[in-house]
Amino acid sequence: MAAPLELDLWTGEDVRIADVDTALAQLRARASLEAPSMRTSVMTHLAWVPDEWLERARDALAGMAERHPSRTVLLTPDPGNAMSRVDATVSLECYQAPGAARNVCSEVIELRLLGARAKAPASVVLPLLISDLPVFLRWRGLPTWGSPELEQLVGVVDRLIVDSTEWDDLPAAYARLAELFDRVAVSDIAWARTSRWRHLLASLWPEIGAVRTLRVHGTPAQALLLVGWLRSRLGRDDIELEHVDAERLEGIELDGKPAPFPPGDPPQPSDVLSEELETFTRDPVYEAAVRAVVA
Amino acid sequence: MPALYALMIRRLLPARFAIVGVARTEGTDDSWRAEMEQAVKDHARDEFRQDVWDELAALMRYVSTDFADEGGEDKLEQMIESCEQEKDLGGNRVYYLAVPPPAFPTIVEALGKRKDARGWTRLIVEKPFGHDLASARRLNELLWAHFEEREIFRIDHYLGKETVQNMLALRFANGIFEPIWNRQFVDHVQITVAESIGIEARAGYYESAGAIRDIFQNHLLQLLALTAMEPPIDFTAESVRNEKVKVLKSLHTPGPKSIVRGQYGRGFVEGEEVAAYREEQGVASESMTETYVAAKLFVDNWRWADTPFYVRMGKRLARRETTIALQFKSAPHPPFEESATEGLRPNVLLIHVQPDEGVSLAIGAKVPGQGMQIRTVHMDFLYGGAFRTGIPEAYERLILDVMLGEATLFTRADETEEQWLLVDAIVAQWQRDKTSFPNYEAGTWGPISSDELLHRDGRSWRRH
Repeated sequence: MAAPLELDLWTGEDVRIADVDTALAQLRARASLEAPSMRTSVMTHLAWVPDEWLERARDALAGMAERHPSRTVLLTPDPGNAMSRVDATVSLECYQAPGAARNVCSEVIELRLLGARAKAPASVVLPLLISDLPVFLRWRGLPTWGSPELEQLVGVVDRLIVDSTEWDDLPAAYARLAELFDRVAVSDIAWARTSRWRHLLASLWPEIGAVRTLRVHGTPAQALLLVGWLRSRLGRDDIELEHVDAERLEGIELDGKPAPFPPGDPPQPSDVLSEELETFTRDPVYEAAVRAVVA
Repeated sequence: MPALYALMIRRLLPARFAIVGVARTEGTDDSWRAEMEQAVKDHARDEFRQDVWDELAALMRYVSTDFADEGGEDKLEQMIESCEQEKDLGGNRVYYLAVPPPAFPTIVEALGKRKDARGWTRLIVEKPFGHDLASARRLNELLWAHFEEREIFRIDHYLGKETVQNMLALRFANGIFEPIWNRQFVDHVQITVAESIGIEARAGYYESAGAIRDIFQNHLLQLLALTAMEPPIDFTAESVRNEKVKVLKSLHTPGPKSIVRGQYGRGFVEGEEVAAYREEQGVASESMTETYVAAKLFVDNWRWADTPFYVRMGKRLARRETTIALQFKSAPHPPFEESATEGLRPNVLLIHVQPDEGVSLAIGAKVPGQGMQIRTVHMDFLYGGAFRTGIPEAYERLILDVMLGEATLFTRADETEEQWLLVDAIVAQWQRDKTSFPNYEAGTWGPISSDELLHRDGRSWRRH
């Protein structure tokens, strides 16, 4: 992953979206003075990022622009603020195009929605979506089920990306998540992190078809999703789950017998997010796994 | 005035020149200069330069008069003659009329009678150019009674926008676009003129005009005509306008199912709650004025037969955007697995008129890596990034064109009449077919029936 060649920045308080557009245009013009720059976009990437998630969200974004030239809009709600306004930080990240004397630039817009302006986030982001391209929404933390913010944003995006590892009230939250499946395609980073293990378990067919107990050393989300996956794929709801809490997926036992470790290293957070941004359609296997968890 | 300032800073104004401001409001040269100085500081695209402004301000005079009063026009005439003598101007005059329709006949007659035979006289007429076909014809007859058509410049500032002119360059200066600019390759065309603002204290005008007279009759039909017209034999005013008129003549009146109108209710724009149209100051509480129009239009000629032109325009929509999108037909037989193209959308050539002036082409490209995954990417040509010079405001170009006598980017009488002919036919249908208002929330993309207009054809509005 290369570091950005240049990082130009504009900030403003109590801004209109037109100000953001103007700032972007000026940043692009400035970047093109230094080297011919191309604005190449493949999507709009929205992220709902409450304050406590902001640093982690920025870390996950590092390098994303290089792999997914896009417009990223980070929305940080601050509904308790006495003021009602939108503050913005707009930056341009440019990377040298391989083998070419020009740069490819992506746009990152951080919007802090203060007071009443946090109530209608869709109306803030609608003017910023890049036409004709897919829109992804990364919701950090537990979605506020049924809230106007979530309902509005789900209404304008193609894909909702969550990480159920970030949720406390499992498995109940999966029932609320399943209610969204018919409205928006959903990706779950916790699910993506089980991918290597699912491939490995699938390779154990047909023996795995008779498994009675699955013991997972990992996060609650990973444990639940893995057992849900096995139950839904095997068509059996009698598979028992034993969960040993760990910060990451460290191992799996089938009827007390350790499963072999999958090859390779676990992917980095930005790699996982990056892969999810390349998926466009619903994931019926994931949806079935979630439904099996809460059945 | 910001346009004149921009021309001044670039030394594009004539060496001998004077500007005379005329209004009923009491004022002096100095009070008017101060007002205009502030307007330049607020709205000019260039940084304010005191030396340039002082030079321009020295050329400015103000007349407070009312043409409706006996001898009202004489005060203006005296001022103009004084300027002409002082600066040895030779009698060339440009009159710019931004006046309410009732004042129009008196002013046109007064100016027409006082044309200076020593030089040329040109008259810039702002919209609204009439309220319907009959009133537009009366206006044309009034103008022709005192001026020749070549002296009349009906202004539509959209035509002065660089991107609109660039579309002509795109089409007629490149060999690759024109061969596919037709019904064989284009699935349909979408033209959007969207504003996020409301009526901004213009209730008096807007209540009687509505979206169809405010935008559809002029800007939108002009954009459509430029998109659909045949290549002109040259870029002279008559050649270009002849081709535009042919397009306007070939538009047939859409039936009631092909027209949608809307009016905004309360909603959110940029996170702020905004009032419904009927709650705006000066708007009737039961107003039936439309703030949104969508239509499916057909250009009945050899090039475009059966190719729909979906157009929409409105106020309090999700964002400010004027675009022309040509959506091309899908590849006839993509040899890829279905899963490889799940993120792929049809090719779209998108012309951004405002904001972000430029052109985008949406194409399918392979995602780098193993396997064959194809997704849509945008190749963007942004004006600001490609050329180092700033983009002139539309009025700069248009005012300069009037001074040069170049009428290509102005609307001819027969164009306005063809535009009104279509609008009158649509409005007549509305008299018989009442709609329930409001029918869309402010901050959205319009009524659901507008989406259904395209869904019935198996299409959808471009996503935003």
